[in-house]
Parts: sequence; C-alpha cells; structure tokens
Amino acid sequence: MGPLYKFGWFDFAYSLQLAGLIGVLFGFLLERAGFGNARKLVAIFYLKDFAVLKVMFTAIVVCMLGLLFFSVFGWMDLSKIYLLPTYIWPQIVGGFVLGMGFVIGGYCPTTSVVSAVSGKLDGLIFVVGMILGSIVFAEFFPLIEQFYSSGSMGAVRLSDVLKINSGLIALLVCLMAVGAYWLVEKVENKLGDPETLPVGSRKAKAWAAAILVALGLVLAVVNPDRIAAKKTSAAVKEKPKIEAVRKAPPKPAEPASSGAVIIEDEGC
Amino acid sequence: MAWLVFLTLGAGLGGLFSAFISNRVKGEVIRGPNIGVSARLWFALFGGILSGFAARLARGCTSGQALTGASELAFGSWVFMFCIFAGAYATAYFLRKEWL
Repeated sequence: MGPLYKFGWFDFAYSLQLAGLIGVLFGFLLERAGFGNARKLVAIFYLKDFAVLKVMFTAIVVCMLGLLFFSVFGWMDLSKIYLLPTYIWPQIVGGFVLGMGFVIGGYCPTTSVVSAVSGKLDGLIFVVGMILGSIVFAEFFPLIEQFYSSGSMGAVRLSDVLKINSGLIALLVCLMAVGAYWLVEKVENKLGDPETLPVGSRKAKAWAAAILVALGLVLAVVNPDRIAAKKTSAAVKEKPKIEAVRKAPPKPAEPASSGAVIIEDEGC
Repeated sequence: MAWLVFLTLGAGLGGLFSAFISNRVKGEVIRGPNIGVSARLWFALFGGILSGFAARLARGCTSGQALTGASELAFGSWVFMFCIFAGAYATAYFLRKEWL
C-alpha cells in the first residue's frame, strides 16, 4: 500500500500540496514546543532544559516504530522509501559544524524559519546566514567536491553495518530513548530552572516507558527484516499470477506545463 | 526537490499560526542577559552561515538527516546526529557569555 506516492495514489502536483500541508503541521508543532526561541533551544547545551532531546528522540522513535510495524503488517514497503545514502566523512564534519552553528547562532535550519516568522530578528538573520552559507558551498563546490563524495558506503542501515536485525536495533533505540529521558530529567532537576520545566506524572512516564520497551521487544522477536525478505521471495514466486490479475498501478502524472522534474529524492 | 520549497513555506505558515494564537508574535532579539543586540545578531549571522554550509555538506540538517534518516535507521544519519551534539557541546562552553 505505502509509500502512497510511489504506488501512484496521487500525482506530482498533489504531492507538493501535501508537502506544504505537512510543513504547516511541522512548523506549528515546532513553535508549540517553544522551538522558535533560541534560548529554549540552546538550553540543552548548558544542561538546563532537554526539551530538544526529548522532542527529537520521541519523533525518531515514533516514526521508527511506525515504519517497522507498518512493514510487518504489510502496509508499507520499506524498500521503496528513499534512504539517505551514507557518506561518512562529510556527514561527520557536517554534523560537527552544524552543531557549532547551532550554539553560535542559536538555531538549526527549520527552527530558524519558525523563529523568523514569529518576529525574532536573530532568527531572520540566521536564515540570511544560511542562504549565504549555501551560496558559499555552491561557489566553492569544485574545491570540496572530492570530500563531498568521500566515505561513500551506499544506502546502508544500522542493521547492515552492525550485522544485527532491524527489530533488535529498534529495541536498542527504544531502550536508549527511555534511558536518555530518565538521565536527562535527573540532570534537569539538578541544574534547570524548576519554574520552566514541565512536571508530568511519574505514573504516565512509567507507562510510556513500559509501552515503548514492549513495542521494541515485539519487534525484536518478530524480526521485520525476515518478514520483509519472506514477502519479497513470495512476491517473486507469485509474480506471473499477480500480474495477470492486477493492472499496473497508474503512473504519477507528469507535471503539467511547468516542466519541473524530480531529479532526486534527497532530503533537506 | 521542489517539495522542499513547499515544506519550508508551510513550516513558516504553521509557525506563524502557532505563534499568533499564543500571542508570541513580537519583534525582538532573543539573547542572554550578558550580550548586546548587535553582537547577538553577528553571532546569529555567523552561526547561520556555518549551518547553511554544513547542511549542504552533510546532505541534510536536523530535520532531513537527524529526524528522517535516523527513524529510517540510516547509518550515516545516526553518525551525523551524534556529531551535531558533539560539535554543540564542544562549543557551548566558549559561548556561555552569549546565552547565560
């Protein structure tokens, strides 16, 4: 069934409208979380408020569990989702420099946009800086081209590199998230400002942690990789039968008159 | 990558809506108590330049790499995410005048 676009559920033009809608939700939630404010964001680097870590890890864990469970249920074909290829050296250096830019400027790319629209001049200046940085990158590209494509490992997952199945990785990520939440709350309670920190009930937190670990355990036992492999081999075997019954899915419509073509599926 | 343009425009719109309904739309400069406005803005510009360059170099930012890639369990995205934190924590001490 999914990913919907790859299976021709809607055309290119509609996919752009959906991207806009998802952007609206993303921006709304970032602002709601207080991430339009640089002081709230960088507080994590002074061990005072770990909202950034909590929101990031929760988003990652929810999305990861969703993808893996959907794939186990047969609702989502993970092999058809664009996976960012690994270029280990530019990613290490880029990550490090982005982290420096985060503390110096007070924002990361999307949060600066949210900050700028809510009237923060520093956010707007950060956006201007990002555009300049992007131009610098483009202008000096011939010099860094070699480094840009160094350490290429292809589109590999943690499971490929660590040689353990995705279900077990999911369990480890869940355990890491729960451990991180527990640890950072200890630190927050010591160093943070008790007036601005959220309280939350202990019971709800314990339940959430238990559910997270339980879902991870289920995946570790079920092993989504094996199920996906089984489905692929079954599909190969049954292919002639299926093709006789089912019509080919309609192709995503060509962009109308604009002449825009999707060249690459690359992320932000 | 045309969808990125719409996603970013949408994010601006959604952020504005949220800020508007909770009365947070206000012209101001977010800074620590020990730094002046113009110094803070220079820092913002410099940080922005670094971030823009780094996001291009790493093929993504905290959203495209760290959130999306990490939830897909992409190897490079996890390395990238930990490097963001490493870079930020390594720099934070030297910038405490800007924020604390």
